[in-house]
Amino acid sequence: MKEEPLIKKYDPEIMRKILSFSKPYTLHMTIAVIALLLATAAELLLPVVIKTAIDGNILTPDPDPAALTAKGVLYFFLLLAVLLFSFVQVYLLAFTGQMVMKDIRVSLYNHIIRQSLNFMSKTPVGSLVSRVTNDVETLNEFFTSVAASVLKDFSLIIGVLVTIFFLNTRLALITALSLPPVFIAAAVFRAKARNAYRRVRSSVARVNAFLSEHIMGMEIIQMFGREESTGKAFGKENEVLLRAQLLELYVFAFFRPLMNLFTSVTVGVVIYFGSSRVQEGDLSLGVLIAFLSLVQKFYRPVLDFAEKFTILQSAMAGGERVFSLMEESEIIEDTGKGKSWEPGRGKIEFKNVSFSYKQGEPVLKNLSFTVYPGETAAIAGYTGAGKTTIANLLTRMWEIDEGEICIDGVNIQDIPLEDLRKGVIPVQQDVFLFAESIEENVRAGLDLTEEQTAQAARAAQAAGFIEKLPGKYRFDLSENAANISTGQRQLLSFARVLARNPAIIILDEATGSIDTETEKNIQKAVERLTENRTSLVIAHRLSTIRHADRILVLGSGRVQEEGTHEELLSKKGLYYNLYKLQYTR
Amino acid sequence: MFKELKTLLPFARKYRSAYIIGFICLLATDAGEMYIPLLIKKAVDSLGTEGFSLHRIGTLMLLMLSIAVSVGAARFGWRFFIIGSSRRIERDLRKKIFDHLLTLSSTFFGSVKSGDIMARATNDMRSVRRASGMALVAFLDGTVLSVGIVSLLFITYGKLALVTILPLPFITLIILFAGKFIKKYFKSVQEGFSLLTERTRETFSGIRVIKSLTMETYFKKKFLQVNLQYKERNMRLVRLWGFFFPLISFISGLSLMLLLVFGGRAVINKQITPGDFTALISYLVMLIWPLMGMGFTVNILQRGAASMGRINNILKTEPDIVSPPRPVPFFKESDIKVKNLTFAYPGTDSPVIKEINAVFRRGATTGILGRTGSGKSTLLKLLPRLLDPPEGTLLIGDIDIRNYKLEVLRKNLGFVPQDTFLFSTTIRENISFGKPDAGDSEIMEICSIVSLVKDLENFPGGIGTEVGERGVTLSGGQKQRIAMGRALLPDPPVLIMDDPFSSVDTETESSILHRLFEKRQGKTNILVSHRVSTLSRCDYVYVLDGGRIVQRGTPGELLMEEGLYREIAVLQGEDV
Repeated sequence: MKEEPLIKKYDPEIMRKILSFSKPYTLHMTIAVIALLLATAAELLLPVVIKTAIDGNILTPDPDPAALTAKGVLYFFLLLAVLLFSFVQVYLLAFTGQMVMKDIRVSLYNHIIRQSLNFMSKTPVGSLVSRVTNDVETLNEFFTSVAASVLKDFSLIIGVLVTIFFLNTRLALITALSLPPVFIAAAVFRAKARNAYRRVRSSVARVNAFLSEHIMGMEIIQMFGREESTGKAFGKENEVLLRAQLLELYVFAFFRPLMNLFTSVTVGVVIYFGSSRVQEGDLSLGVLIAFLSLVQKFYRPVLDFAEKFTILQSAMAGGERVFSLMEESEIIEDTGKGKSWEPGRGKIEFKNVSFSYKQGEPVLKNLSFTVYPGETAAIAGYTGAGKTTIANLLTRMWEIDEGEICIDGVNIQDIPLEDLRKGVIPVQQDVFLFAESIEENVRAGLDLTEEQTAQAARAAQAAGFIEKLPGKYRFDLSENAANISTGQRQLLSFARVLARNPAIIILDEATGSIDTETEKNIQKAVERLTENRTSLVIAHRLSTIRHADRILVLGSGRVQEEGTHEELLSKKGLYYNLYKLQYTR
Repeated sequence: MFKELKTLLPFARKYRSAYIIGFICLLATDAGEMYIPLLIKKAVDSLGTEGFSLHRIGTLMLLMLSIAVSVGAARFGWRFFIIGSSRRIERDLRKKIFDHLLTLSSTFFGSVKSGDIMARATNDMRSVRRASGMALVAFLDGTVLSVGIVSLLFITYGKLALVTILPLPFITLIILFAGKFIKKYFKSVQEGFSLLTERTRETFSGIRVIKSLTMETYFKKKFLQVNLQYKERNMRLVRLWGFFFPLISFISGLSLMLLLVFGGRAVINKQITPGDFTALISYLVMLIWPLMGMGFTVNILQRGAASMGRINNILKTEPDIVSPPRPVPFFKESDIKVKNLTFAYPGTDSPVIKEINAVFRRGATTGILGRTGSGKSTLLKLLPRLLDPPEGTLLIGDIDIRNYKLEVLRKNLGFVPQDTFLFSTTIRENISFGKPDAGDSEIMEICSIVSLVKDLENFPGGIGTEVGERGVTLSGGQKQRIAMGRALLPDPPVLIMDDPFSSVDTETESSILHRLFEKRQGKTNILVSHRVSTLSRCDYVYVLDGGRIVQRGTPGELLMEEGLYREIAVLQGEDV
């Protein structure tokens, strides 16, 4: 498993991209920042109110209890303002974060879905999924952690400094002396915490991967008697995780108390120097008390700030992966866009088509053949002869290198991609069904009535088993349709193609074995599928071959022989050998 | 609630001394913290009096600093000892869970989804860890500090203390109340995320179908909906969460407001000194955390207990397939007999295998044919006791297989399961899984039997090539052939193959079978297949239908008689 970087240095380019996604929410963010500043200001005013109360109403020659109550009321309203503005700020930033995540996710998803199959087959599904889900989720940290906390911490630090300087410059200068060691400690903490964080994250990932894999493979472990060694291997991974966690613990266990200690030192210094000033009458007791409150608000944000920086960096790493995926693009261009095309009777022509998946390894060379309207043509050939490739090319899942493919005389390049794929539908070897109801799977995005859905299912011989399921058409398929049999899956895939009634179908038969009961149904369904339309059958079964009007035998990238089953057998050529080897024994 | 957490006791006992030292550190932290405001009070009170001397203030502050240093050390201490122990407990418990999982049979793994087990080993472990670490700290700290400070305030300030403390208990109440909702909303956010992940995974796995059937727009629309729903769930949490912390600050602020109004009056009336006023500010601020802590303790413990309960469900599951107390030595060279075997999966009452009688002759290859659901795979899994047969129904050397040592039985039966599973290590390690000390030449020999040599040439690292996670980089046929090689390498006396070539093309299958039978000469093979052409190479074939044997005989005999075998042969285009 490839390890992905968890942390990345601050990158203005990524920041710029995130900000471009947040542009629609500029108003939200502006209000949030204003609310944040107001909340911070109100919070800093609280100790100032206490100071003025002490100096102006309590410790004066003529104390005023009524004014004291007024100060209490003022204090209350300031608290209320903090509550309100904090909420507004948290809410709006979270909202922005959520909306931006949604927008990025949707545009990334739409981007990926447009990519060619060539791109998709090169990129593991798992990594694409984690781009769209986890990596985008880390971007949310920009708004919830970075924007919210960092802004807040930052404004609090600045605010405290401004307030104490405003209250008393000399005392503030003395307090500020504690800043350099605090910032140095915070910087050291940041580096240590980041390393620890990285180690914990990667060990957690390893332990989880180990667990999930070995739970899935438990039967194999037990069957081969490898319980003990597997247990030992797990113990090792588990130990690595503990070490990483302890390291992280030590970092926090050291720096959190250290910051508390800094607070105490500063309090001590403030009292020591402050008391002599008070004694000399240069400083009021209220100011001293306000100082003490403010100083205590000061150090936690510094540590927070350092901690959030690591989160920012991991968000950077996620952001980079997300945005670099958005920049990669490999799409099949819709060259026929805007042109009008109506499927005719479905004549397929391959004219000198050459194609290779990888350069230098041609699969098809100057391949030419014609399938006439309404005909059922079977393609036979050894494994790797390029049978399945033909289906990929006809629907423009891949682009040919040379030559021309025409449908009813029109080059497929000149047919709008969507129309082409509506007119030519392949039924694939490996059936993929969606974890939705049977009904949804048959409709597959079309607006079909219940009757139309059932009709398609009947035509595909699928109605029989569907009627027996609990809930019938509403029966929910599980992941990978594991709750119905292989054969039933095949029938459903026929049903959804029949529902679309394409002019041309390409049937890529399953190589795998299918239970016999459905085998009969499949044969019947195949008859229905190929009825009244042009069909290209990539045959693995003899029965299908026998039913074909014509068989094209593919070899070395071109058609080597063609004719009916009997004609080809009597030729005693390539087909004869193939037939003997592959279809009988 | 505490009943479930009892599981932790033996672990906690293991780290008893660490816990005790941690608790002492915690108490020292609390004591020191409570003492500091008193020093500040003394310093402030000496201001403006004749007794003022800078020297005295200096002494007081130095005392305060030394206390602060000790408190810092004690803080490190309790984190080191208590939280450190909770991490160690987590490790021990995780190991215990995994070791226990290794002993459980497919009865368990069939009834609990793997995602569910994972959730217990990860999320639930995390809440148990919090319960064994932070919850203890919060509880002890919360009790000591809150009781300590509150009694100190009452003793010193009486009524004034009562008035100013009044709002603070609401902090605990709010946490208790909001905790429930936060938990609920948080869960719904997590579920929303799983939904989102699942939808994404499905789209990308099925991209071919989506493109072929031009379903792009439909999927985009659905994805947008899932996203909007996920956003809504998040915002519901934010609305609560965003209010929660500011509200706690608000309540603690109220306390200070009351102090300002009533404490201020007390200073004016000379009931308390300005120093008292300062100390009170410190104490009230200091009270917030323990009161929050008390609320969190209840939440953390509740969550921890619920999680522990789920983990206990695993730990309490007794391994149902185990070696007998007095195993007998294994008979290698003997027939395997199935006697009147009827089997229903545990927890169900409809048998999937009904009154089967059969013999798998030693040194012969026995084939099995049957439709999906006819009970073939179940029958095969009973042989190595991946499922447990009823007593006296499966015999090797006329001895019930349940009398053999489990490891010995399994070592003698090689198995190729229907669903191929490979580990995400190298091809070499996968093939040598049953014989870890096998050399490369031995492995290559196996590779040539299962027709892997050509494929290996295309892999960058040969047999050292990493199999992508769960075999993604290999084709289905390649995976099946590796699994076949894995079972073949230890050269077991009996080889059980459950439809091992379903994804291998017939051509390749044919040549593998040829070499396989050569290699397995004189050994027992059991082979399930859907292909009559494959079964025609067997010495004897059983045909299963609806859990019963409906036909038996040599392939030649079966081809002659009316029945399922012949029917399938015709379907598959065999010349009958």
